[in-house]
Amino acid sequence: MPEIRALASVQDHVLLGHGEVVNSYRSLLLRALLRERSFRIGALIIGFVTAGALLAPVVAWLLGHGVTEQFRDTALTEMGLPTGPTFEFPLGADGNGRDVLVRTLYGARVSLAIAIPATTLAMIIGTAIGLVSGFLAGRVDRVISQAVDVALSFPFIVTALSLLSLNRGVDGKPFVAPSLVVVLIITLFSWTYFARLTRGLVFVLRRSPLVEAAQTIGASKARIIMREILPNIAPVILVYWAVQLPTNIIAEATLSFLGVGVQAPQPSWGNMIAEAQRSSLYQLQPWFLLGPGIALFLTVAGFNTLSAGLRNVLDPHRRSG
Amino acid sequence: MPIFSVADLRVAFGGVDVVHGVSFSVESGRTLAIVGESGSGKSVSLLGATGLLPPAASVRGSVLHKGDEILGLSAGDLRRRRGADIGFVFQDPLSNLYPLKTIGQQIAEAITAHRRVGRGELRQRVLDLLADVGIPDPSARVNDYPRQFSGGMRQRVMIAAAIALNPGLIIADEPTTALDVTVQASILDLLKRIQQDHGTAMIFVSHDLAVVSDIADDVLVMRAGHVVEQAPAELIYRAPRQAYTRELLGAARLGGLVARAARSSLLPALPSMPDLLSVSAIARSFAGRSAAGGLIRPVLTNISFTVRENEIVGLVGESGSGKSTIGRLIAGLDRPDEGSISLRERIYSRPGVGGIAIDRKLRSDIQVIFQDPYASLNPRRRIRSILAEPFIIGTRLDAAAIRRRVQDLVRDVELPDDVLDRYPAQLSGGQRQRVAIARAIALEPSLIVADEPVSALDITTQAKIIRLLQTIRRQRGLSLLFISHDLGVVSELCDRVIVLEKGVIVEAGETGRVFGAPRHPYTVRLIDAIPGKVLRRNPVPERIAAHA
Repeated sequence: MPEIRALASVQDHVLLGHGEVVNSYRSLLLRALLRERSFRIGALIIGFVTAGALLAPVVAWLLGHGVTEQFRDTALTEMGLPTGPTFEFPLGADGNGRDVLVRTLYGARVSLAIAIPATTLAMIIGTAIGLVSGFLAGRVDRVISQAVDVALSFPFIVTALSLLSLNRGVDGKPFVAPSLVVVLIITLFSWTYFARLTRGLVFVLRRSPLVEAAQTIGASKARIIMREILPNIAPVILVYWAVQLPTNIIAEATLSFLGVGVQAPQPSWGNMIAEAQRSSLYQLQPWFLLGPGIALFLTVAGFNTLSAGLRNVLDPHRRSG
Repeated sequence: MPIFSVADLRVAFGGVDVVHGVSFSVESGRTLAIVGESGSGKSVSLLGATGLLPPAASVRGSVLHKGDEILGLSAGDLRRRRGADIGFVFQDPLSNLYPLKTIGQQIAEAITAHRRVGRGELRQRVLDLLADVGIPDPSARVNDYPRQFSGGMRQRVMIAAAIALNPGLIIADEPTTALDVTVQASILDLLKRIQQDHGTAMIFVSHDLAVVSDIADDVLVMRAGHVVEQAPAELIYRAPRQAYTRELLGAARLGGLVARAARSSLLPALPSMPDLLSVSAIARSFAGRSAAGGLIRPVLTNISFTVRENEIVGLVGESGSGKSTIGRLIAGLDRPDEGSISLRERIYSRPGVGGIAIDRKLRSDIQVIFQDPYASLNPRRRIRSILAEPFIIGTRLDAAAIRRRVQDLVRDVELPDDVLDRYPAQLSGGQRQRVAIARAIALEPSLIVADEPVSALDITTQAKIIRLLQTIRRQRGLSLLFISHDLGVVSELCDRVIVLEKGVIVEAGETGRVFGAPRHPYTVRLIDAIPGKVLRRNPVPERIAAHA
């Protein structure tokens, strides 16, 4: 059963060459990760984006520009068109005379604040369901697999649009905060991937000597799942979290772009790009579009690079040589 | 002139030397065996000499093939020699055959990679090769896929591809290690015949001096990247000069089974002991490839035997004979379709659906040692936590008491205390298997099912683990059901033997009797297939013993 051994030996090579007693497995893993170049680059980019998100209020204070404040007399020309980058507005202004840099940084907050909880929630739900489905197998597994198939057959955009419009009352005001609904929709559409991944991993492990050894000493099912199976599949799932996160950042941007996610005047990369495109002002002031566009690209590229690095370190089969 | 000669070969990975100056040569029509345990550098030397190591490895020295220096040749030049002039046969025929191409295509590829051959001629050559390596009815099998072949047949296909262009040299790296003992014997015969028919030179790499004894003209013993001893086979087997060679020879059990089996039956007999485990008329079958089609494949039929208190019973058979299934049924990891299993006259396993409900007392009474210590120890937990697990689950001891018990356990299996804070990946194979044994004896079981516990280990480590199992049996008075395909190990350890063929018990009895005077033809075949028969037939002549 080579795949069982492969799974059991995931990350074992981190320990290779360490004959001495290892005090902390985590510190060893961290050292291995820091030696991996794509992990370092990814972490650097994400650190940069996170710092931007955290420091958004500081930048706003330094420039003296609030996130929704309009500076019609200084940021717009006499014809009412936005100015390009100046000393006062480093990335220029948008059609309403607001600071693009400040809004882009606040947009990072929105992106991360929606994508991270949504992906984490999807991971927890998906992993729990996958563990149960894979370990119990049989009828439970068939029912859950059918449910996953049904969930996967919903088209994302259409479902999201209808759910978000259902959220609107007669007076046009939403029942629940739209950002919360966006988190739930993204969770709804990404838990299935975690469930399938986990189920597959557990399927390989449930008949392995590792689990059978625990059975013969009388360990309960819950104990086997939590202590024998979960620690062995956790690294793979964490890698997948980092793979899924950029997808979910794009999903949030897509919904905001379509005008159903984060609502103006609160900035989000999606609705900023939509506004630049709708008003065609990016032809005059390209940074109106480039600001949120580059930020989105950087974040997604950062997480993709980070997850590639994680995969290189945690999965020995992807290493060359 | 030797066809292939290696002088002062040194291989290093990332500045760490793994092969320290190895020299050997082989002539046409002769077989050189390179023997050593895992990590001795035997495979690395050959891969390095033929340019098959990744670029990260640094290879120095001199390698002459047909008088030309080939070390440092370009990849293209090397490729022209490999396959055409040097044929390779590796250990695992399944992972070296491509699953989506027919075996005919794969053998043809070995030819067309080097020569331009017409279609009709190519097909004829492939059929000839298949017939040459002993595949019955080649024209019917040539369009089959690797999965339709058994392990031995796949290895024959690999050999056919290796000899497709009549290479002057065949390099066989552990070609029989993954195979059953009877299949191993037939593959060795095949290699020997091909070598004699074609006058090929052969380099045969193995960890087992016994396997090599039937085929080698010269033997090179390696350890930790050094050559320990190099001599004609006669001298190595009759008059080894180095202590390590003698150790390997001792572990290879070349003395023949009967003598030792007879010795073991001279030990105080234990006929009066009461029955501990009783297996009565169990049967088990599994759904075949199509579960819906109702293809039922019987694995065990009407199996009955007993294991007495403080007895070691060996269960031998080839792969697919159902011996591991018996182990799983006894351990309560599976249920029989018919019959029942009882421990001390209490039936605990009988047919039914779902898992078996086994109470805590019985669970701790029957423990299992698995074949692969890599896979049965959780790689994410320290040894201390792995060994504490049985006590946490099976006893009400407090943390301090468990700590003490874990420490005692580690000493019982002769491991140093500092392994407790290590992860399984930091231990050697033998150490891991000791940890697995410690876990099995933690709850003081009365029966341990050991499923091939030594077959994944080096031959000298095997001998140590066998001694440990004997000690534990003596000290703790427990019984052992020892499942193995290796008759040598079984004859050394077991009081009684049960021989299993295709799910049926064909012979059972005292070890000395079964191996000394086998009654069933299958048992005779198994014993006959044990490597080392050339040496068994000709006992050590005085003349060579004196020569030493």
